[in-house]
Amino acid sequence: MGKGQPSYTDEELLAGIRHGDDRALAHMYRQYLPTVIHLVTQNSGTEDEAKDIYQEGVMVFYEKVREGTLELSCQIKTYLYAVCRRLWLKRLAEKGRYGGRLDDFEPYLETGAEADLADAEERDRQFALMSEALVRLGEPCRSLLEGFYLLDKSMQQLTAEHGYTNADNAKNQKYKCLVRLKKLFFTQYKEEPLS
Amino acid sequence: MTEADYYAFFDDYLNDRLDAPVRQNLERRLAADPVLAERLADYQRLTGTLNAYGQRLRVSEKLRAIQAEIDAEQEQVLETGRPEMPVMRISRTEQWLREFWHGHRATMGVAASVAVLAVFATLLGLQWWNAHTQPTTRAVQYLSSKVDKLAKAQQKDRRVMNQVINQIGSTPATPVNPGKFSGTGFALTADGYVVTSYHVIDGADSVIIEGRDKQRLRVEPVFSDAAHDLTIMRVIDRNFRGFGRLPYTVKRRQAELGEKIYTLGYPREDQVYNDGSLSARSGFEGDTGFYQISIPVNPGNSGGPVLDDRGNLIGVISSRQMDVLSTAFATKSSYLARLVDSLSAAPHPHTYNLPKQNQLVGQTRPQQIRKLQDFVFVVKVFDRD
Repeated sequence: MGKGQPSYTDEELLAGIRHGDDRALAHMYRQYLPTVIHLVTQNSGTEDEAKDIYQEGVMVFYEKVREGTLELSCQIKTYLYAVCRRLWLKRLAEKGRYGGRLDDFEPYLETGAEADLADAEERDRQFALMSEALVRLGEPCRSLLEGFYLLDKSMQQLTAEHGYTNADNAKNQKYKCLVRLKKLFFTQYKEEPLS
Repeated sequence: MTEADYYAFFDDYLNDRLDAPVRQNLERRLAADPVLAERLADYQRLTGTLNAYGQRLRVSEKLRAIQAEIDAEQEQVLETGRPEMPVMRISRTEQWLREFWHGHRATMGVAASVAVLAVFATLLGLQWWNAHTQPTTRAVQYLSSKVDKLAKAQQKDRRVMNQVINQIGSTPATPVNPGKFSGTGFALTADGYVVTSYHVIDGADSVIIEGRDKQRLRVEPVFSDAAHDLTIMRVIDRNFRGFGRLPYTVKRRQAELGEKIYTLGYPREDQVYNDGSLSARSGFEGDTGFYQISIPVNPGNSGGPVLDDRGNLIGVISSRQMDVLSTAFATKSSYLARLVDSLSAAPHPHTYNLPKQNQLVGQTRPQQIRKLQDFVFVVKVFDRD
């Protein structure tokens, strides 16, 4: 890695990511990327597929860290490897090219990655529902809520963009929109069978 | 109070913007009112999901940016490692090909191996098959000299040949060419019928036989059986008075395996004796018209008589197998006998008086040969070349 970048321990990386330090995230990303590229490309995947898998894996790790629910019983490297390995197996099965065997390049341990992946899948389902609910919500609610929650815009910014007389009006509009979104989201949410 | 008002209230509460008395009041109500508590939980879940969704999108963007940065760095390293060197660029097609190769090399390797195996298996199989089934027709060599020339002569008009023979017959003084081809023949009857192999005289213009006493006799083919390689000829010399009594008889039944047999012939200018055994009752490739015999024979032996110990004629030498040591084939005498029978039965001017008495039985081999040698001839074949 060189390039005068500070070298982190696993603990420092975890602490950095938990506090939203982008440099720690970038450092970790760079550090373990080659292992996963190797794993995927040696198991009939391309480098681009490897990068997709790796980003998915890092996201699982990142969200667990931010939630504060990650119980890491091994090195970050081993955890990421386990998550990405599992994700790649799934992808291969979808492609119908999985021969039931994977060439491993790292010790593969029980890391709790399986359970975390199940959580991640449930989260993905919720995000998909939310995205759909937002689409059905219609304008101007959709832009308002997406601007505030997804694009991280301030209330002042949104007030100006949407032409409200003051921030309180915008705020009140936001709450009304939330109520409508709640109905759309939970109707769908409850319609979905909980597997 | 509308639900939106509650949401504003919850927002302030969760962000700790409420005054202490109002907050305590709300907390008491939440503890007492499950509907209100449920409403707060829904609000929290909704905004929580929205926040998490926002974070997912933002972090995803961040990761993509990091990856893009890494990709850019790698490209830079590739391109600027040696600024003065030409940059190696990979075209899209080549990149695609490389990826394809990477993804499918195992499959392609297997396919290629199978293809190579199949090709070699086919080649080896064909070679084996050829080696085992190629008929060895060329391995059989007729034992007259210069057979190829005969084949050429075969194409000539029979009529012309007969004319020439007639001419020779009418004017005995005509100088004749020395014999071009030769085989062996032997007397079939005392009154001038002679047997030789068909391939010896095939396509000839004129045929002469010459005995041990160097006396030449003109002969004319009377009947030929190409399938059994037999020709019966007749002496047409006017001065011919007959061969005298023949010492051997023609065996009509099949000879026994392992019988001691011998032959007299003219592989060269002088009469040559050779002996051996009857090896098989079928000839080349199972041809039942022939015997296989273990007599060493040479070109010129063709048409020679094969006799058994008791002086019975059992066959006529025809050919030998090239690739098998001292293996020769002889036409069975039973075919000769049958041929003579069928010719006799036909309404035909010729009559065949086959010898009826065998004078060789119980005699020693040299004695037999001494009696036999005057009835075996060189067959000399002339064409017009």
